[in-house]
Amino acid sequence: MKTIIFSVLCENVAGVMMRVSRCFTRRQINMDSITVGIEPSGLARMIILFQADDKMASFMRKVLLRLEPIVEVQMLEPENSIAREICLFRTRKLKEEEMSETIRLIQSAGGKVLEVREGTLIGEIGGSHEEVEHLLSSLGPDLLKEVARSGQVYLSRKGSDQDSGGI
Amino acid sequence: MEETTGAAALVSALKKEGVKHIFGIPGGAIIPVYDVLYEEPSIKHILVRHEQAAAHAADGYARALGRPGVCMATSGPGACNLVTGILNAYMDSSPVIAITGQVPTSLLGADAFQEADLLSIMLPITKHNFLVKNVEELVEAVRKAFVIAMAGRPGPVHIDIPRDVQISKAKVKIPAEIVRRGKERYDPDPRRIEEAVKLIEGAERPVLFAGGGVIWSGASPELIELAELLGAPVVTSLMGKGSIPEDHPLSLGMLGMHGRKAANLAVTECDLLIGIGVRFSDRSTGDVRYFAPKAKIIHIDIDPVEIGKLVRVDVPIVGDAKRSLQQILRALKERGRRGVRSEWKERVMQMRKDFAPKMDYDEIPLKPQRVIKEIMEVLDDDSIVVTEVGQCQMWAAHYCTIRGPRRFISSGGLGTMGFGFPASLGVKTALPDKKVIDIAGDGSFLMNSQELATAVENGIEVVCCIFNNSYLGMVKQWQDLFYGGRRSQTYLGKSPDFVKLAEAYGAWGDRVTRPGEMAPKLREALKCGKPAVLDVVIDPEEHVLPMVPAGGKLDQMITGD
Repeated sequence: MKTIIFSVLCENVAGVMMRVSRCFTRRQINMDSITVGIEPSGLARMIILFQADDKMASFMRKVLLRLEPIVEVQMLEPENSIAREICLFRTRKLKEEEMSETIRLIQSAGGKVLEVREGTLIGEIGGSHEEVEHLLSSLGPDLLKEVARSGQVYLSRKGSDQDSGGI
Repeated sequence: MEETTGAAALVSALKKEGVKHIFGIPGGAIIPVYDVLYEEPSIKHILVRHEQAAAHAADGYARALGRPGVCMATSGPGACNLVTGILNAYMDSSPVIAITGQVPTSLLGADAFQEADLLSIMLPITKHNFLVKNVEELVEAVRKAFVIAMAGRPGPVHIDIPRDVQISKAKVKIPAEIVRRGKERYDPDPRRIEEAVKLIEGAERPVLFAGGGVIWSGASPELIELAELLGAPVVTSLMGKGSIPEDHPLSLGMLGMHGRKAANLAVTECDLLIGIGVRFSDRSTGDVRYFAPKAKIIHIDIDPVEIGKLVRVDVPIVGDAKRSLQQILRALKERGRRGVRSEWKERVMQMRKDFAPKMDYDEIPLKPQRVIKEIMEVLDDDSIVVTEVGQCQMWAAHYCTIRGPRRFISSGGLGTMGFGFPASLGVKTALPDKKVIDIAGDGSFLMNSQELATAVENGIEVVCCIFNNSYLGMVKQWQDLFYGGRRSQTYLGKSPDFVKLAEAYGAWGDRVTRPGEMAPKLREALKCGKPAVLDVVIDPEEHVLPMVPAGGKLDQMITGD
């Protein structure tokens, strides 16, 4: 088992997410992450992360391609892709010395302080999954009240015309 | 351009698709469509007595004709009653178009009267489904539905139409062309054909394994030509039955759990298996680890999902069965390919002879083998045998000699009891000049016996031959073989009297109890001018044999000898 990354190009129509997700549910596969965005063409691109072996990954690719609104399914290789994630977070009410230490941690991790109000800080970190994870763990669950994460988005370095994983 | 209602636009669009028959039942949410059908002479609506039967009838119609069959129902319970039939069509790759009424758009999701979330319910059991929001979408959905249902691997498509869309007016033109990203790859990759030809040339003991895909792509002539060119035997799946005439010297019949012994042994011994339009279901393969253990496998299928799903494949060929076989044949002929070594052909012919099924029993109570023998004497080459599900189905699959495609229609993947009788009504509607019989069991027939009313009221003259053993026979067989004979809840008893039941509906009924009675009574039933039921009282102790236990090895059959 390893992390499989699908980049799924599909029509932007109602129900497409359900059509895709049920293919995973039926086979008892939990999606680690799913993100959707609209491309300039009007089509939507989903980035889906899940755990599977190569055989199951190749099978799932074909299963998704069979769906009417699906245009293309690329299986991305982490080493040939660029991955990013964005995360917003809010802290609990901080004491003065905690605040300065928190700001220092965020800035040294490459994050930004977006807002400080009544001792509570809202910050942002964008970057690789590991960079996001690193900052969140150094701030710790005691400090963090609320975290919103985008899920991971990937872009292949090779471009979408190079197919992968099919017969 | 004139404004039309959604209902009128729907009926125009169906006419444009060449629809001549619809099987269905009206209800509140689809009355506007039925109101248009009321004065539409070119579409005959057949009013069934339960929506499940509408779906099965449309399925039988589609399989008999090779074109989509259409069923219709109202919202909520009507649409939900279609579900089993639609799933049945999905499992067996049959192009059924299901059209249902839905509550008005403004009430969607409000738990309105007779509302059900059919978009979600139908989604996993159709090739595609639509919930249309306006008249423009409706006519486009109809065009798309017919294209999708027939493209590549066929399958059902559902269109859900809210009531307000049926009555709202718009100026719409039925699109001549639709924008659809064609997913199907009909032409095989020439490199794969080359690899396949190399394997074929090196094979000494090839076997062809034909499925429903051969029938849907019209590839029977190519299948037979390849078999004859190679001198290779042909085994079929249940769906592939009839893809080669079963009296052809190279036809070994059906493979699998209740397949013929010669077919199962040939697959176990072969060194090359060419699967064509098959999905290697567990009922065909038994334990896949021991399936065709000595063979390289070439798998031709138009649906890439099927390739490598269950069995290891040495040469995968994604493409239409007919085109793929044509290319293989061309390449083989260019190389001056001749048949395989004669030892294999002789071995196969010997097995075919040695394991030919015995059918000439004279016992009372009747043996099903004897009944089928007499049925076969009466039917023509182009008669159509439809089956229910269970022992009756497997006896029919094992013993009936079918001589062409689309002449054996059965519920394979889903194994839906109650399929056969309504499906036979669809078949007879599609092909009124052909003899159509349903080989039924008493248990299966009772699951949709109310359709006798449909048959009588519409003059659909099918003959239902009920192999009556007073049991849910296949379950009883498993209980006998694997559960120490503990026949839990499988005895159905002696009710009803099927002859009287038929007569109560206005059909013709008779009973068959002795050898020699079946053929004349079937002839009489086929000529009686009414739908008919023959209550054939068979031996309740008879099992379907040989049998490969579920998950067993194909060459290790329970034979009962």
